[in-house]
Amino acid sequence: MQVTLKIERYNPESDESRQETFTVDVVEEATLLDVLDVIKDEVDGSLTYRKSCRMAVCGSCGMRMDGAAVLACKTPMRPVVEAGEVPVISPMGNLPVLKDLVVDMEPFWAKFRAIKPYLDDGGEEPPVKEWRIQQEELDRVMTEALCIQCGCCVSECNSMEADPDFLGPAALAKAARFVNDVRDRGGKSRLEIYNGPHGVWDCTRCYFCNQRCPKGVHPRDAIAKVGAAIYQEGMHSDGGARHAKVFVKSTHQTGYLLETHLVPETVGAVNAIKEIPFALRLARAGKVPNPLKPHKAKKLDEVRKLNKLIESQEQATLEAANAGPTRPPADPAQAKESE
Amino acid sequence: MVRHDVVVVGAGLAGMRAAIEASRYGADVGVVSKLHPTRSHSGAAEGGINAALGNAGEDDPQQHTFFTVKGSDYLGDQDAIAVMCEEGPGDIYELEHMGAIFSRTEDGRIAQRPFGAGGAPRTCYAADITGHVLLHVLYEQLVKSGVTVYEEWFALDLVTDGERCVGVTAWDLVRGGVQGVEASAVIMATGGLGRMYRGTTNAYACTGDGMSMAWRAGVPLKDMEFMQFHPTTLKSNGVLITEGARGEGGYLRNSEGERFMFNYAPNAGELASRDVVSRSEQTEIDEGRGVDGCVLLDLTHLGAKRINERLHGSRELAMDYAGVDPIEEPIPVRPGSHYHMGGIDTDVWGHTLMPGLYAAGECACVSVHGANRLGGNSLLETVVFGRRTGAAAAQDVRRNGTGGVFSPSAAGIAERSIGRLLDKNDGERPHVLRQELADAMYDNAGIFRTAEGLEACKAKVEELRERYERGVVVQDKGRDFNTDLIQAIELGSMLEMADCLVTGAIARTESRGAHSRLDYPERDDEAWLRHTLAFYDEGQVRLDYRPVTITEYEPAVRSY
Ligand SMILES: Cc1cc2nc3c(=O)[nH]c(=O)nc-3n(C[C@H](O)[C@H](O)[C@H](O)COP(=O)(O)OP(=O)(O)OC[C@H]3O[C@@H](n4cnc5c(N)ncnc54)[C@H](O)[C@@H]3O)c2cc1C
Ligand code: SF4
Ligand code: SF4
Ligand code: FES
Repeated sequence: MQVTLKIERYNPESDESRQETFTVDVVEEATLLDVLDVIKDEVDGSLTYRKSCRMAVCGSCGMRMDGAAVLACKTPMRPVVEAGEVPVISPMGNLPVLKDLVVDMEPFWAKFRAIKPYLDDGGEEPPVKEWRIQQEELDRVMTEALCIQCGCCVSECNSMEADPDFLGPAALAKAARFVNDVRDRGGKSRLEIYNGPHGVWDCTRCYFCNQRCPKGVHPRDAIAKVGAAIYQEGMHSDGGARHAKVFVKSTHQTGYLLETHLVPETVGAVNAIKEIPFALRLARAGKVPNPLKPHKAKKLDEVRKLNKLIESQEQATLEAANAGPTRPPADPAQAKESE
Repeated sequence: MVRHDVVVVGAGLAGMRAAIEASRYGADVGVVSKLHPTRSHSGAAEGGINAALGNAGEDDPQQHTFFTVKGSDYLGDQDAIAVMCEEGPGDIYELEHMGAIFSRTEDGRIAQRPFGAGGAPRTCYAADITGHVLLHVLYEQLVKSGVTVYEEWFALDLVTDGERCVGVTAWDLVRGGVQGVEASAVIMATGGLGRMYRGTTNAYACTGDGMSMAWRAGVPLKDMEFMQFHPTTLKSNGVLITEGARGEGGYLRNSEGERFMFNYAPNAGELASRDVVSRSEQTEIDEGRGVDGCVLLDLTHLGAKRINERLHGSRELAMDYAGVDPIEEPIPVRPGSHYHMGGIDTDVWGHTLMPGLYAAGECACVSVHGANRLGGNSLLETVVFGRRTGAAAAQDVRRNGTGGVFSPSAAGIAERSIGRLLDKNDGERPHVLRQELADAMYDNAGIFRTAEGLEACKAKVEELRERYERGVVVQDKGRDFNTDLIQAIELGSMLEMADCLVTGAIARTESRGAHSRLDYPERDDEAWLRHTLAFYDEGQVRLDYRPVTITEYEPAVRSY
């Protein structure tokens, strides 16, 4: 079949950007990655993108197709061709472009490192054999453990566009993977990182991350789980959680986020002045109306419904979090057995 | 120019495990990897990792050892196999304590399932994303350890002072330019070479770079002719459907709907050793009982619940790349090149014959897999021997000091040869040679081999090496993030390694494990119970041999 792509190119050495159109013949099962490979082999060897596994597990090949992040190797082209589309392929968003479709992942990994991305054993001696854990307890972190760190969620994250320092969906999904791991002893000290500035409360709940994640990690739900754990630990009186409460209130009333209300209610009027640029950036990105000129959303009912849904979801995660996690018992019988 | 006590080349499971261990021993460690660590192909392993925990039935390391020896068709070194099987359980528990999420039994222990030719349910797993889970756990620990990682640095050559290895040269992919990396000990952990075959389960990055670096530096490669073919790979792009699918009870059927495996392996059926299953499939296909060049992997009787719980990843792969939902219909599969048993010759501590150079993981050959690897044993190999090699390297450095002199001219030499590659404007594009190589290897050095086919393959490889020497054209002339350049260099590694593989295969006039000669169908212990060593000799391959270490189990007929 014949595929045509428009590719956003960038050459760092000449600092040139341009869009280029390529048409090639590929096999019926070809993925977007296969098409790029054919272009690179047969048309232009300088076309640059990352790849390795070609089976959606290494996380190398995140890029945008018509403005939405995808894994090139998990994107079959036949439906696109059959629909008669000529998609635009561009690098992921929210990360600096290095060359063509390759972005600099360092800011992404810096956030990964910032969330204490490893099991905190609290310096305890582990059991001689494995921890005794029920499957159901592990299932609680299995969804987040699917993450391949591809960055597709970050590419589309609304909040990160406005606040580049926001820890973001991928790092926070990783955080949830430890928060709900019964073996983790990080407790409050871990949660403090996520409760702080640029933490979970920065999320605007746009759900783009859930929508774009190619592995079904549901980062937004993971963020809700971390939020629930913070509530459970009684840390919600801090600035961040208060921000979230007001956020819900604000959108409930008007259907839009009123940054002008939100900021003062959270941190007090004086501190709010410092936060104004954040709100303005959000406004510029078209995510909220101009904070200085509040107006109402047209379908207020729908927004209210959405908020109800979010509340009930968060209630459910909270309940789940309350039901566990419990620490696994270091089984004394087990210890004896292997002495 | 950077310097570390221990430099690990490669950041898959073996490389990261080695780096973590060396740093525990107090060494200053640097990791050089052409991919970010979590992009390594270890993450693609689905099925699981073996260790005799005895959680799902009677088991012990002796049984694990025996079945591994038998699976290796008696070519594995029995002392090395015993080390792996005895230390394995400890490494699994350690991974679990690091945070690995292993699936559980009813009573909360690590669950284990049967894998082909294992003799007992011994394979620990994390649903069907075991490699992914382990790779990310080790990366977490690597971050915790504070080891320096040079991401997207492509190692080019070993640097020696004539006697010992003193570092490597590497191309910084992001910024462009050759970097000297000086080290008192270098650990190669660069993974496999499956990409030289058409139809492979391996990632694009599996091009045998580390093996070819060692070979060119004069270090022998062992048992290179043994390439395992996995019985269940998708036709479109070679993506693997885990052996766990058969472990969970999946059937293999031919075009007549018959479960044909019992005609070849009356007892084990679908769970016979991989080489046996691959050959049986190929025979069915060759004799006209295939379906469009494939056989059928039938999971439909397992039911949606079991498939979703235990084989979720496989279902997704089948839907993405074959357009088939295994809950509803069988998946067309065929054998594809999968795992390379051979590699850089090492002892049980990862030492090579060159002082200062070590190797671990798929690029090494200890040898624990002999002529045929059992499913689940290579992940185990990466962690057991990764750990041992990291420890040995760090201790050797502490004992013997900093080693030799890294000549400042090394980086200049590498820079000039890359300059020549970039300057070339007329000639063939690398992908042309790569495709011809992949076809020749699959057709003539594949599941079934003959003298005639192998000779033709050798001639083809020699021709391709000549064409490569004459110069291939890299179209990207820039220095920043030049993947066109990297692919051209990788092709060079593959051509050299293909030569070693085919040369060894021609010489070995017997059938053993994955090396199946139609013209020599029997195993010949008298002549061939020995390891092949491939040396570099002015660009050509020179063979030598070494006896197999046999401790407990005398070679016997291998039947399933
Ligand atoms: C699809 C699939 C499924 C598998 N399933 C299983 C299973 O269920 N159980 C099992 O036991 N085994 C399985 N295997 C085999 C097993 O996964 C591999 O043998 C093992 O993971 C290899 O690990 P490694 O660390 O040696 O290499 P890899 O994980 O391949 O890592 C190689 C590293 O070397 C680096 N590198 C390579 N060349 C260079 C260079 N020139 N310069 C710098 N860095 C370089 C790469 O960046 C990478 O970090 C499977 C293999 C495949 C392909
Ligand atoms: S959460 Fe999903 S989209 Fe985000 S990095 Fe992980 S796998 Fe990729
Ligand atoms: S839901 Fe939150 S984390 Fe996810 S994309 Fe939107 S703002 Fe970012
Ligand atoms: S190439 Fe690995 S995720 Fe696409």
